[in-house]
This record gives sequence, C-alpha cells and structure tokens, in this order.
Amino acid sequence: MADSLDRRDFFKGAALGAAGLVVTAEKAADAVAAPAPPPVTLPTDPHAHDLAYAQAQSTVTTPPTRVATQGRPASDFMVDVLKKIGFEYAAINPGSTFQGLHESLINYGKNTAPELLTCLHEEAAVAMAHGYAKAAGKPMLVAVHGTVGLLHSSMALFQAWADRVPVVLIVGHHRNPSGVINRPHSAQDMGLLVRSFVKFDDEATNLERFAEAAMRAYKIAMTPPMGPVVLTVAAELQESIVTNEPRIPELVVPAPPQGETAAVREAARMLVASDNPLIQIAKLGRTPKAWDLLIELAETLQAPVDTLGYSSWQKFPSWHPLYGTGGRGYTPDVTLGLEVTDMSAQARAARASNRKTISISAEHLFQGSNIHDYGRYADVDLAIAADAEATLPSLIEEVRRQITPARKTAIEARGQRVAAAHKAGQLDGIREAKYGWDASPVSVPRLIAELGDQIAKDDWAIVSGHQFTGDWQRRLLNHDKPYRYNGDCGGFGIGYDTPASVGGALAHKKNGRLSVAIVGDGDLNFSPGVLWTAAHHKIPLLFIVHNNRAYHAEVMIIQRMCGVRGRGNENAHIGNVIADPDPNYAQLAKAYGMYSEGPIEHPKDLAGAYQRALAKVRAGEPALIDVVSQPR
Amino acid sequence: MITTHRGTEAQRAFLDRARRGLLSLAALVALTSAATAQAPAPATAAPTGNAQRGKVVFETTLRCFACHGYDGQTGSPRLVPMSRSEDIFLAYVRKPATQGMPSFAAVSEQQLRDAYAYIRSIPQAAPAPDSVPLIKGILDRRSKAN
Repeated sequence: MADSLDRRDFFKGAALGAAGLVVTAEKAADAVAAPAPPPVTLPTDPHAHDLAYAQAQSTVTTPPTRVATQGRPASDFMVDVLKKIGFEYAAINPGSTFQGLHESLINYGKNTAPELLTCLHEEAAVAMAHGYAKAAGKPMLVAVHGTVGLLHSSMALFQAWADRVPVVLIVGHHRNPSGVINRPHSAQDMGLLVRSFVKFDDEATNLERFAEAAMRAYKIAMTPPMGPVVLTVAAELQESIVTNEPRIPELVVPAPPQGETAAVREAARMLVASDNPLIQIAKLGRTPKAWDLLIELAETLQAPVDTLGYSSWQKFPSWHPLYGTGGRGYTPDVTLGLEVTDMSAQARAARASNRKTISISAEHLFQGSNIHDYGRYADVDLAIAADAEATLPSLIEEVRRQITPARKTAIEARGQRVAAAHKAGQLDGIREAKYGWDASPVSVPRLIAELGDQIAKDDWAIVSGHQFTGDWQRRLLNHDKPYRYNGDCGGFGIGYDTPASVGGALAHKKNGRLSVAIVGDGDLNFSPGVLWTAAHHKIPLLFIVHNNRAYHAEVMIIQRMCGVRGRGNENAHIGNVIADPDPNYAQLAKAYGMYSEGPIEHPKDLAGAYQRALAKVRAGEPALIDVVSQPR
Repeated sequence: MITTHRGTEAQRAFLDRARRGLLSLAALVALTSAATAQAPAPATAAPTGNAQRGKVVFETTLRCFACHGYDGQTGSPRLVPMSRSEDIFLAYVRKPATQGMPSFAAVSEQQLRDAYAYIRSIPQAAPAPDSVPLIKGILDRRSKAN
C-alpha cells in the first residue's frame, strides 16, 4: 500500500480515474524508485470539494517517502520506551497518523513485546485490551488512528473506565495537517474526545516528554482506582529524526495505599463485635493475592461473602461455604464493602434500621467524573480511602488480634449456620437446572452444564461476562480459582463480551488454560471481526453463542412500555429481534477462518458439538458453536 | 370460606371489581399473592381458550416467552405449572402487581384466554434432578465441595 495514502483516504481507482489521476498502490510503490513525484494537475477551482480535488491534494501534499530516512527515527525511540514499560501486545487498527510508530514496531521492534494484534475495529481493540488486563493483571497497548479511530474506541474506553480497568491507548494525529483528508484526523485537543471517561490524557511535544508521558500514563492507569489512559502522539514527532536522544526514565508504579491504622482497627472492632457481618465485593482483585486474602478474612470472621451483581469482578469461590448472603433470614448488622463503587443503597438501608456499613475502597480517592457511575452519596459509618487488597492483610491481622475466645465460639457457630444455609440454597439452585432440560431452543443451564461436563478436567477460564446468562455459571461451575471468571463489561453496554473474551483468552494462552466465552448474538454482532483476529493470531478460545435471536432485555422493556401506554403489545418485537432472516453465526465464523458448528437447536446435539470444538481449542485454535437458546 | 379452583368467592368478587378498575394496585397485589399462597397446586378447571392459537399468541404475537421461556419454565417467573385460575390470570396480566410484568390491558380477552390455554397445555413434569446424570453429577460435586 502506498504510504502516501491514508488507509481511510484511499479512494478506489475508479474514482481517481474520473479526475484523470490514476494512483494505484502498485504505481505508488513503483514511484518509490523515481527521483520525483509525477506532475499533478489540480482542478482549477481550489475550493472544489469533490472527490478528485480531495484526492489530488492529498497525493500532492503527502508524497510517498522516496528517500530512506537518514538518522534514527523518533518512533524507534518510542518503541524503546514501550519496550521498557513491558507491553507484551499492542492491539491496533492501522491508520496513517501513526504510520511512523507502526513501522517502527514491526521493523525496529521486530514485532515482539509488543507484538501487534490486527483488529478490525478500534472498539474491538480496546475491548480486547480490557479483557486482557483483567486476566493478565497488566495493560495491553492499543494504537488507533486520529479522531476516527479514537471515536471508534470511545465505547470500549468507557467500558474500561466503568470497570476500573487499565488500558494504555496511543492515538496519532497531525499537529499541522496539510491535506483535506488529514485535517479531520487531527484535533486541537484530541484527548477531549474521550476525556469524560479516561483517567488521564496527554500529548507530548518532544521525545523527552513522550518518554515521561508514557511512564506517567502507565503509572496512572495502574494506580487504584485503575482506568484507561490516552496518549496523543503527533505524526510529525513520530516521523522526526532523533537529534539528542533523551534518557528513558524508569517505570515507577506506586504501591497502592493501605488503610490508616486506627481506621482499620475500628473496622476490625465493628466486624468482630457483629453478630451478622456481611462482606460485599465488587472491583476487588487487582492481583490473585486478593482471592486468598478475602477467603482468609471471610473464614476468620465466618462471614458470608456477597459478590454482588454484574459489575463485580466476583473474586470469591462460588462453591465456598461462605459464598452468598448468609441464607434466608440473615440480616447483616455490619456490612463491609470492599471496592464497592456505590454503597449508597446499603448505607441508606443501614441507617434506617440502626445497622452499620464500612467501605474500604480506592473509590474514595476518585477525583470526579462526568459519568454518574460513582452513584449517590454513600453516608457509610466508616469510610477508608485505601486500596482494599492492600488493606486486607492489616485488617485480617487486626481481626485476629481482637477475637476473644468467647467471640470465637460465636463466630464458629455462625459459620456453621451460614454454611448449611448456603449449601441447601445452592443445591436447590442447581436442581432448578431441570426446568426446560430437554427443551428446544436449548435452556441456558443445559448449555452451561454440558460445557462444565466437558471441561471438568481442563484448567478452564470463562472469559466472557454473565450479564445475559444469569447466575447459572456460578451455580453450575465451581469457580475455585481467581481466573475462572473474568467479569462483565462494567458499563452495561453490549459489544464487550466477544472482543474482551479474545483478550482474556490471549492472556490465558501462555498458561495453557482453556478459555471459553458465552456470548450473546447481540453482542457478537457488534464486533464480529474479532473472530478473524482470534483465528489469525491463533488464540485458543471456545465461543458459545447464546443465540436467542433478539435483544431480549429490550423486548421485555418495550413490552412493558407498550403496556404502560395501553397501546397493545403486538409491536414490541419491532426493532428488537435479530431474525427473519436468522443470522447463521457458524457460517460467519467459517467466513473468518474459524472452526464452527451450528445452529444447534436441540440439546441432544450439544455434547458432540462441544467435544469436536473443544478438540480444536485444545489444539490451539479458536472455535465457535452457535446454540439457539431460550431467551435467558 | 369456600375455596374453589378459581380462588375464594371473595377473591372472585374482588376480581370483578378489579376488572372494573375499582381496586388499587396494592389491593390487587394482596389478592394475587393470597391466591398464589392459598392455591399452590396447579389449576384444574379446563381452560376456555384454544391452546393452538394460544401458542401463537405466546410465541409470536405477544412474545410471552421473552421473560418466561418458550415452554414457560426456563424464564422468570415460571408459569408451569400454572397455579392461577383463568380469571385471576386474566386480571393479573391486565393489571400486573409488579413493575417488571408488562400490562396486557389492551389485548383482547380471547387472546389472553388462548394464551392461558396454551400455558396450561404445556407438560408440567420436569425431570427429577437426580435422574439427569449431568445435574446429579453437579449436585454430587457441590455436596462434596464443603
């Protein structure tokens, strides 16, 4: 491809022919050897905004590079910075505003650490990085085109923001755009486009500032509460020549803050004195250590652990005797929230009934947001502005210190009651899988139970969320390792699961884990191109399409709205169903080069399909099974 | 108090008033809850609607399956076995007691009776969990987990 032609500027030969300017990729490539660009005649009207004029101006003002760059390209230095940070992967969708960096990554950087992942949409690239970060515990780099690429990224940046997950994104642009088509890809303030939902953005004006900005961006992304960051890097800077190479600073990520000693002691006192304590968690689990620490705290207190709903990372074993809310009739007198973004409802309820709430969270350090996900004001009884994971060791130690023999007896008795109630409730929950067991379309519990049977001997990880499959995963599969479940999107937007699953699976690949994603048909249709990315990069992952042929949540809410307004319910499906014709997702996957089977409508056909697909996944390939399923 | 397959006489009178819009939502909630609590057993009186037409209503026209599942069992709440009598069912779906349930007040009575007949026609028996090897296996593993 001619490097003078922006990916999105490249107009097909037919259009160019109309203006008498036939510039093809091959001719542009040939022109590299020529001493000077061919003469070009511009249209006489310089204000003409027709296609020919735009193309001609673009061709004239950004000619192909015909002379080898003399000296060290600045983007090579940038690659050294990125390598020092330690990025393993860079998810990109190409664009001319970062062509300098792109070339340096693949040639100077030898396409390793970071290795480029070719993505077919920028939202998919960022969502992959989102899923990867939660599974790998560190950010993936993303590089996107100026304005257009960043705007495509924006939804996924929002999801990462809402999920408090680190992503480092580089966006290119032109400081001094000279072409009609380059100008829309540049901005006075690029970061403004996404500033409402990134934690930090910066534009470096020289290489020294770039190195510092990159280190700072990574540090900020990884400091709780974590979040996505954006670095704008001008094409002029990328393509300049290093004249006085600056030092690359060391990456220093600060240790997250622990809770203040007296406050932790008070929290321990309240918990030890409590008759019915409850632990609630959400964005807890930056590292696998949090898993063990939380088990230790829960067992020391014999307190039930409520992993809350879809916005939680749910880092607690689902078949643990303390997993749950304590059983019927268990009314917590002290609720401890660990990285629970919004405890306002718990606090209000507690104050209305003389109960207590404690919040330990980095959210208290949060400086503000245009997005209302921080919730209402939570007047908890004790708020500790600290990273909960970093605070757990001191809290556990203090709880242990304060437990008297008498309290220990009471605590142990409580644990037995809670465990018995949880076990009975969970067994009943499992038994409910019987409903619709042989139904066609396939029931969600059948879909999951058949899967669980086949991966029982694998070291598996569910890399999709469970927003649309209810709690069946945690009922039917024993989430006994911190990586068994990778969490939901964070911002309750569709289109996360499919690409984020590929990122999660990539992180698990080097550990030999078997990754499975259960994605909705609605979700898959937002970024189906990521199936090609998984196939191209040989990322082993079983996609199970929970194909209910609709946005079923929306069917339900429009039904309700129809009812509220008394205008009949017969039209509620309009705009909500994905049928007639019924998309064939197995064929879609095949088109992207992925092994697939389906649509499977009868549960008796599931086991065989899973077996064949899992054989492919275990051999290192992705595969997809399209299951026509009950709504939820 | 006389209890029939359509609820108590008092409940039937109550329903008549509900149909005429004379009752508050809270009162209807109390009624339907009471009906459910007092009559957990499946309704037994033969439905008056046409189950075949009701299947079309359930799956295509009104898309009841969106919440309740195609067979009325896999969604929430489960409709099978149906414990409400036909009249109570009609009153309920026209003026539901919960926000999550859409009102089907503008739907013809015949369509609702047909939908009721279809729900009643769905086989009620789910397999015993222990008779399904996969479910039994999960139950065994969960039991052994702690």
